[in-house]
Amino acid sequence: MALEDYRGDMEMCCRCSTCKFIPMQKVKGAQYVNVCPSIAKYNFHAYSAGGRLNIAAAMLKDGFKYTDKLLDIVYNCQLCGACGVSCNYAMDMEVLQPISEFRLRCVEDGKTNPALDKVIAGLQKQGTMVPGAKGKRGDWATGLKLKDATKEKVDVLYHVGCLTSYDKNMQKLAKATVKILQKAGVNFGIAGNAETCCGGRAYQMGYKEDFLNQAKKNMDMIKKAGIKTLVTGCADGYQAFKVLYDKYNLKGDLEVLHISEYIDKLIKDGKLKLNKKVNLNVTYHDPCRLGRLGEPWIHWEGKKVPGDRFVFDPPKEYRRGTKGVYEPPRDVLKSIPGVKLTEMTRIKEYAWCCGAGGGVNESNPGFARWTARERIEEAGSTGAEAIVTACPWCEKNFSETIKENGSNLKVYDIVELVEKAI
Amino acid sequence: MALNKEVYKEFEDVVGEENICNDPAIMPAYFSTEFAAVILPGNTAEVQAIVKLCNKHKMQFRPICTGWTGMFPPGIILLDLRRMNRIIEINEKNMYAVVEPYVISSQLQAELMKRGLNFCIKGAGTNCTAMLRGHGHMDQTTSGDDRNHLAIEWITPEGDIVRSGSLGSSDEWFCGDGPGPSLRSILTSAVPPGVTPGVFTKAAVKLYHWSGPSAYPVEGISPHYSLSEIPPNMMARYFSFPSVEKMWQAELKIGESEICFELMGFNISMVAANITTSNEEEEETFNRLNKEVQGPGFFVIVVGDTPADFEYKQRVLEKIVSENDGKSLKAVEDPRIEGILMCQCTRISASIRETFRNGGAFNSIPIMGQRDLTIKWAIGAGKAKEPLIEKGYIVDDGGAFFGWGVEQGHLGKTEIFCKFDPGNPEAKAAVEGWQKEQNRRAFTERYFASTMGPQDEIGPALLNYHLWWQKITEALDPNGVSPSGGSLV
Amino acid sequence: MIGKEKLVKIVGAGNVSYEQKTLDEYSKDISFVNAVRPVCVVKPKNASDVRKIVNLANKTQTPLVPVSSGPPHFRGDTVPGIGGAVIVDLSKMKKIINVDRARRVAMVEPGVTFGELIPAAEKEGIRLNMPLLPRKSKTVIGSILEREPVIMPKYQWDISDPLSCVEVIFGSGDEFRTGQAAGPGTVKEQWAVGGVQKAPYGPGVASWHRLIQGAQGTMGIVTWASMRCEILPSLEEPFVVGSSNLDTLLEMISWLIRLRMVNECFILNNTNLAAIFTKKWPRGYQNLKDSLPAWTLFYTVAGYEYLPEERISSHIKGITEITQRLGVEAVKAAGGVSANEILKAVQQPSGEPYWKLRYKGACEDIFFLTINDKLEGQIGVMNELAEKADYSASEMGVYIQPIVQGTGCHCEFNLFYDPGNPSELNRVRGLSNSAVKSLMAKDAFFSRPYGENANMILNRDAATVAVLDKLKKMFDPNSIMNPGKVCF
Repeated sequence: MALEDYRGDMEMCCRCSTCKFIPMQKVKGAQYVNVCPSIAKYNFHAYSAGGRLNIAAAMLKDGFKYTDKLLDIVYNCQLCGACGVSCNYAMDMEVLQPISEFRLRCVEDGKTNPALDKVIAGLQKQGTMVPGAKGKRGDWATGLKLKDATKEKVDVLYHVGCLTSYDKNMQKLAKATVKILQKAGVNFGIAGNAETCCGGRAYQMGYKEDFLNQAKKNMDMIKKAGIKTLVTGCADGYQAFKVLYDKYNLKGDLEVLHISEYIDKLIKDGKLKLNKKVNLNVTYHDPCRLGRLGEPWIHWEGKKVPGDRFVFDPPKEYRRGTKGVYEPPRDVLKSIPGVKLTEMTRIKEYAWCCGAGGGVNESNPGFARWTARERIEEAGSTGAEAIVTACPWCEKNFSETIKENGSNLKVYDIVELVEKAI
Repeated sequence: MALNKEVYKEFEDVVGEENICNDPAIMPAYFSTEFAAVILPGNTAEVQAIVKLCNKHKMQFRPICTGWTGMFPPGIILLDLRRMNRIIEINEKNMYAVVEPYVISSQLQAELMKRGLNFCIKGAGTNCTAMLRGHGHMDQTTSGDDRNHLAIEWITPEGDIVRSGSLGSSDEWFCGDGPGPSLRSILTSAVPPGVTPGVFTKAAVKLYHWSGPSAYPVEGISPHYSLSEIPPNMMARYFSFPSVEKMWQAELKIGESEICFELMGFNISMVAANITTSNEEEEETFNRLNKEVQGPGFFVIVVGDTPADFEYKQRVLEKIVSENDGKSLKAVEDPRIEGILMCQCTRISASIRETFRNGGAFNSIPIMGQRDLTIKWAIGAGKAKEPLIEKGYIVDDGGAFFGWGVEQGHLGKTEIFCKFDPGNPEAKAAVEGWQKEQNRRAFTERYFASTMGPQDEIGPALLNYHLWWQKITEALDPNGVSPSGGSLV
Repeated sequence: MIGKEKLVKIVGAGNVSYEQKTLDEYSKDISFVNAVRPVCVVKPKNASDVRKIVNLANKTQTPLVPVSSGPPHFRGDTVPGIGGAVIVDLSKMKKIINVDRARRVAMVEPGVTFGELIPAAEKEGIRLNMPLLPRKSKTVIGSILEREPVIMPKYQWDISDPLSCVEVIFGSGDEFRTGQAAGPGTVKEQWAVGGVQKAPYGPGVASWHRLIQGAQGTMGIVTWASMRCEILPSLEEPFVVGSSNLDTLLEMISWLIRLRMVNECFILNNTNLAAIFTKKWPRGYQNLKDSLPAWTLFYTVAGYEYLPEERISSHIKGITEITQRLGVEAVKAAGGVSANEILKAVQQPSGEPYWKLRYKGACEDIFFLTINDKLEGQIGVMNELAEKADYSASEMGVYIQPIVQGTGCHCEFNLFYDPGNPSELNRVRGLSNSAVKSLMAKDAFFSRPYGENANMILNRDAATVAVLDKLKKMFDPNSIMNPGKVCF
């Protein structure tokens, strides 16, 4: 669906500002009430979801008038989707979709962000979202003797993802994952150098064609290799394979699981035992694209029923963030002996974003760190020693922010803790 | 009016470049008005400096809090008070809180509940400012409108700082009146439109005791929230009655007996809106519940301070309801529904599902004052909705109105609205016609005068209050820089 | 100056007085304001008379001093601030216009006293939220317009309560009705459709009644007012709690009000309680006083139509939890005064002579608003000042009245003195002056500035005065309304 198709949704915005805050009944005090990093940082209403919808609706009506400010607004958004969850508690209207479509439109119109152009150029050249990546994608696995899923029959393809593959500090996640899967006796493989970027982050940045390109490459490889189940440790990858590929009818029957879901399943099936004590007080950060945006895509086409209500034929079921992946990572953490989980104020469907999504990490690192800082402070307020996440982009942003600003808080991916427990 | 570079620079010097913007791109976000600039002051001193500059350059300005509604003349400076979001003080012992304009009610309420306190939440919702005027679900015991205001810090249209009441004399927030005549006389009242010229930068609001939980035990994932348990000594019910008269009698007695924390004269359409998560589910639920109710009704929340108090209140409620042939709605007796409603009505104020979800717009006639009188009028206004429902112009809510008692029934509020699709010009015209006619009827039949109507017609019949007000604003705002028309929600 | 014949024409010869004796009576009161003799006293019979008088005054630049209550006056607000004034004595406007049980509202003319309204309201099953023991001659409207504190703070939602609406002739000569009474339609037309004059706010974005309250007649003359009333309980049980520790009682009273468990409630010191309840003067006074605790908290628990016994018992249970926590005891009598006696007394105006005059013949009141946290310090300052002024602090009456459902309290020091003793009088006068100054330094808020100290009080808030001046110019452009009072 194009931006035009969301005209009715955009016009439904009543400017109530709910999109700026966590759901009202979840507000626990004066602090941690914001849910949208963009309006929280930039304050002009234009940076809120409501403001964005009103601007987009006005542009549809009066023509697109690009200014530097407009592009500043467009690109300073992590597209984390929290606005939509808060809005959709009460309203039946799409929020994130038109905002996302507006960005696609900007790129289509050539109104791109130079920093993002550079990243996409890297993607086009090297098939990765890690600019200036050195070496080969599968180098991290050297010596691990893992199965090549493109050549050998495996039950599970472990899609490693760009950051985990190329970033030296993140490769530990891939190694931990391998250890866990091996311990559980899973017949899995990787695609090694044949793996390519999922395209999800390119899509967030507004580069739809590049996303589709990547999606096609991936699905060709997967089909060719006869892969039935894909496990990824990256929330962006998870959302790309599971939701975006489905949105564009590319997913087919592929089962997509996040590593946290898979580990949870392995534990519950008795295939993985967590025996070693890991004495740690932790809090869990829901990555946006594993949580609220990990909710399955709902295919729908229909027309508004004429009359007083904004209803459709056939009825439209909205994705309100209800069916995201919230419990499996928590269940995994709870299974680790010695780990004590204390929740933050903003969790699950209304979790505060780490700041790294939507291209912000690349286009405005300062804003990405600012967003992370807020989350780190919130995590610290729980008394936890560590913040645990389930996405390398979150971990990287948190770690770098802590390095920059100082904090005693440790940052872990969930697989790192599981690795310690086996 | 566009700002020239020099003037823009002067404003920028006050707030910093990141807090002023006149780029046309941001304007559609703000009420589709072409403002000369939008400025985000961070404190009282900055507001004062901006207002002084506005006087110097004869620029008009208006402030907004969360800015849900408002009509703004183009070319003015918009003061978006978003950065002024601090809770200055919660004084538990003396039952008041002091807040800046962009503290939302939900924040203050959450802090208060931890302390066994609560305050009046505007019907507009807890997503709106906690600072000023409003009326809503809990008015029965938390009063409403201007009656909760204590001291106010006010930047006059000329840029002077006035600190009303005890604040001006002794730097305390507990009282907004005196010395001598009260400035609260001109610092807002019960009804929109327009607010006092100038900017309110801080205000103290009255607090009330809260015997409910320090936080509701909300579980589930949005939008399927529910309470894991009904908090102790709390109960919510919906009662329908065979006639408006019986409903009113029961409401009156409940007020006089001081037994309900909340009494909200929801119609069943509003109950349906609040307990459902989509338009389709709402319509189905309304049709089902509408068959179960015997007539008009209300929703109540009982909160006992102690188990004995709770028991006493329940017994009296039962007696009053039974004396007036009231019937409890089964759906609300289900703890899952009871819990949602209880939580929503106190913590969200529930307004968006009831108003905007259906068609994205509603036109309303709200009246504050004498509840029995306004109910009498509203019956007719409800009947007048029926042809619009038949023609499919407005959402079928059974032609209902709603309202509630304020201050244990001493005062009250009645409101009736039509929900419609604003994209349908016929529906819009029909609703506007209905609104005009019902306001006219209220006026000619001496029920009330909607001061939202044409001032030139209404003013002379109300002792020319509009001319007095005009005189006041002219005296306060000799440069005419602070036009009316805003609404600080 | 207004010609006599013109006044006679308006109100009739019997209602205009130029008699020296009468004029002398209006030229001074018990307060320390300078005596200024008015030119005449005129007693209008109705609103139309008032309007005509105001119009005449505007034409002739004649100051008008509105008075509703009978003597003795205490605050100086009814003594002309300048020469050449006409006293507009409203005591003949005595109609009780409406008492409505269902809507809990009454409407009266300015001359109606508490003693007159109470039985009329009771007959319908409702009652007023009273000030503490007003003098017999005090009018209801006079008290309400002065924002006098009321003894049932639970029912005082807003400091303007119990005022609902007023009809006022502004100094400009314009008639205005505030709140719901503004219209549409006349008062009678509103009645015809079932309306009463109850809602106080509006019309429009202002709360006009708040401008008239606290103005001491400087904005206009009120010709009727309506006021919210409360239901008469079907059952009442009063209690007293005595203590030498005021803090404990303040803590207790704030919880009683916060939980809305009590109706009448206030704190008096032993001097005031004895001043009110001594039966045999002068001997009985000291005996009674000696029998009383230093501070007495009085409160009533009540039941209404439904299950009154249960209501009372559930409240008593709740209150017992508080008293046990604070280590005090709620009893039925303190010293020689029973709770029942107090309850009975405070539901009526004061018996004659007025309780404040019984002890020594005169009384100077120093009163202000404050918050609980600051009260002890303020009382401490007052005690020190009294001792310094050679006025025994133990002779000083203290009345503490929580206001507006617990968002503050009214504190009142009653300095009893013998008006025939010049040295005592001067001591009290000096003390009053220095006390206001020192108490302000301790954050006391003198929201109702009267008499000699008004300027000192208002000078602290120039910004408010600047706005009030603008309003005054609008509603009383020729400054004929009670010039010299408040800040005008």
